Amino acid sequence: MATTATISISSPDLMPGSSLSIAANTTLTKAGVTADLTQMETGVLSLVSGTEYRLGPLATEMSGDAHDIASYLYICNTTTEDATYYIDWGINETMIGRLYAGDWMFIPWNASDDAAEIEVEPQGGTNTIEYAFFNSDFILPTAAS
Amino acid sequence: MATLTPTLTLASTDIGSDELSLSVTDSLTVSQDVISPSKVKLTTSDLEIGPTTYGKSYVYLKNTDDTIAINIEITDGNSTMQLAAGEFAFFPWTGASGIVAFSASGTPYLEYAIFEA
Repeated sequence: MATTATISISSPDLMPGSSLSIAANTTLTKAGVTADLTQMETGVLSLVSGTEYRLGPLATEMSGDAHDIASYLYICNTTTEDATYYIDWGINETMIGRLYAGDWMFIPWNASDDAAEIEVEPQGGTNTIEYAFFNSDFILPTAAS
Repeated sequence: MATLTPTLTLASTDIGSDELSLSVTDSLTVSQDVISPSKVKLTTSDLEIGPTTYGKSYVYLKNTDDTIAINIEITDGNSTMQLAAGEFAFFPWTGASGIVAFSASGTPYLEYAIFEA
């Protein structure tokens, strides 16, 4: 049994006369092979407004060729506050989108180099996120001596 | 104005001793432009599938190829994600930078949809 991700997107009223129903699934595997992923990190974080947070390891913290490391990231903003509360997310220091209350995202992430880090920055107040990060291998930080 | 309901399920019985069974859904309002589920053949050259004329939107991408990877850039020249064969992504997008897709090689097909809030 591998790790699987399944998505459905539906709408009864997006297009007149035609309901929308998208369904897709994928098995999360190591890059270029069919072997199952072996590592994951899941958790809940309360993030203070106006501060950038990095999610997942840097490319250089992963073993092997970072270009070939399959990684997947799930984030859900579990806040129930109004639209003044949201989380900006981005890669390569570029803000890509905003997760408002209840919004979620799931992406494969190609950690091409350390600059390709994934960052989130809450706005409006303290936001709480649920996250899961899956990848092949990464090296845990060495304990300070 | 339409309602969009995306649902994600992540499942595994063996990635850890605690079985993974996560399901999340959302209810999104779509009131502007929409690119309905579309399918396009890519090459190794850039193809803009998400123009900056869009505002706050939600994006669905799926690589329908069996072997070839598809690269996605949301700021020109910066790799944002790589969709391996069969992989998909769903994420919010501001529309501030265009979404560009190109193949790692060959001519895989990309399925995509964009829903502007």
